[in-house]
Amino acid sequence: MAVRPDNRLLDAPMRPVRCRRCSAQVQVRKSSWQQTSVQWDADAVAACVERRSAQPGSGPNSNFFENCSELRASIRGAAVEGLLPVPDAES
Amino acid sequence: MTAVQDMDEIRRIEAEAAPTRFARGWHCLGLIRDFADGKPHSIQAFGQKLVVFQGEDGSVNVLDAYCRHMGGDLSQGTVKGNEVACPFHDWRWGGDGKCKQIPYSRRVPLRARTAAWPTLQQDGMLFVWNDPEGNPPPADVTIPRIEGATSDEWTDWRWYYTVVNTNCREVIDNIVDMAHFFYVHGSFPTYFKTIFEGPVATQIQNGVGREDVRPPAKEGQPKLIGNTSVAAYHGPSFMIDDLTYHYDNMDLESVLINCHYPIDANSFVLQYGVIVKRSEHLPGDAAEKLAIGTGDFIRQGFEQDVEIWKNKTRIDNPLLCEEDGPVYQLRRWYEQFYVDVADVTPEMVERFEYEMDTTKPNEAWRREVEENLARRAAAEDTPAAWAAGQPV
Repeated sequence: MAVRPDNRLLDAPMRPVRCRRCSAQVQVRKSSWQQTSVQWDADAVAACVERRSAQPGSGPNSNFFENCSELRASIRGAAVEGLLPVPDAES
Repeated sequence: MTAVQDMDEIRRIEAEAAPTRFARGWHCLGLIRDFADGKPHSIQAFGQKLVVFQGEDGSVNVLDAYCRHMGGDLSQGTVKGNEVACPFHDWRWGGDGKCKQIPYSRRVPLRARTAAWPTLQQDGMLFVWNDPEGNPPPADVTIPRIEGATSDEWTDWRWYYTVVNTNCREVIDNIVDMAHFFYVHGSFPTYFKTIFEGPVATQIQNGVGREDVRPPAKEGQPKLIGNTSVAAYHGPSFMIDDLTYHYDNMDLESVLINCHYPIDANSFVLQYGVIVKRSEHLPGDAAEKLAIGTGDFIRQGFEQDVEIWKNKTRIDNPLLCEEDGPVYQLRRWYEQFYVDVADVTPEMVERFEYEMDTTKPNEAWRREVEENLARRAAAEDTPAAWAAGQPV
């Protein structure tokens, strides 16, 4: 049961963004200012400093890494700089 | 009248038959208390009939329901000691799958062994391990503990079952289906994030209720301001939702379970349960009542889902708009449970994040971009203009 490709990626593929702190490279796509998709690979996970120093929180679902703030800022920067295209949708 | 010729090609819905293979992983069969009556229970799961029984030693066991002797249905038999006895010839089967005794025979034949399913009893729930390759559960593939489930500070499980006649992929798709939270469940997420990584799919949601759906608080009643939710599928079928409702004068902590096990390729048992934490605002019965109220509210939500599922068609090529969530990426994650362990590819388990954050309005972004462009233009223009000897 092969999973189909995402029709949205045909029009606008994911693009590489590097983290300004650790240089981890991830694939990113923004479909609007409010939406961001990030595809990591094993190298990026291994490189991420915040990820390595993350402590689990409390509660049954605590064992996950929510966010790298440096990467988030890097993606933000790339979007604002125009390096990462953002469809200029009105909403 | 002239018919307008639409030259666009019609989008075809494509769907392969639902897989006949069942997901590898822990599946919750229900609450232990519902199996703890000293009787064998018949369960249709993973395309076959199983028997669930609790022995005198307290352990709950899951075996293939059909006796290897002459095919009797063990789930119609009786529990004797720590074994289940076949109603046909009283052959006794232990929780390890071995025939322990044949009352009318001097000895048990060689290889008198039936399929025993690995089980996990945890936090009041019974789990069974399914693996089409027949391997035992790896030590690191677990279901996290739920502290409240065994604490007197929390209510007991309020639990619901329902049979849904469609393939269980439909319930999985809901994780990322943002728009349906609004249209089907009346919630309005202001922040939404899903993370797929390894065998876990996490969904973080902060939201406010739709005021047109939920009535405003009555005078003197606490006013619901919003909720924060961290929900995660641990494997293919068991989701824990750590859900806090924020009222104007208190926080209400609850844990929801949303889980299922397949009956066959085209039906599954959907189960959901809730516990609520007692507090000074919720002493004694009030917490129990709230758990019931919350459970019933969730039931309404699932009933709406089920109504959709009952009537919709399976679709492998959903046509998505930009505002939809990562349905394909979710299915890619889900696929890891349907292939042999050796065939799990990096893309099925590598970390993927999808985030929606409406707390920062578009205008703020636009302003920032404009400022940035202006700054850049100034930086570029100045030296160029100066070099050309022109007034800036």
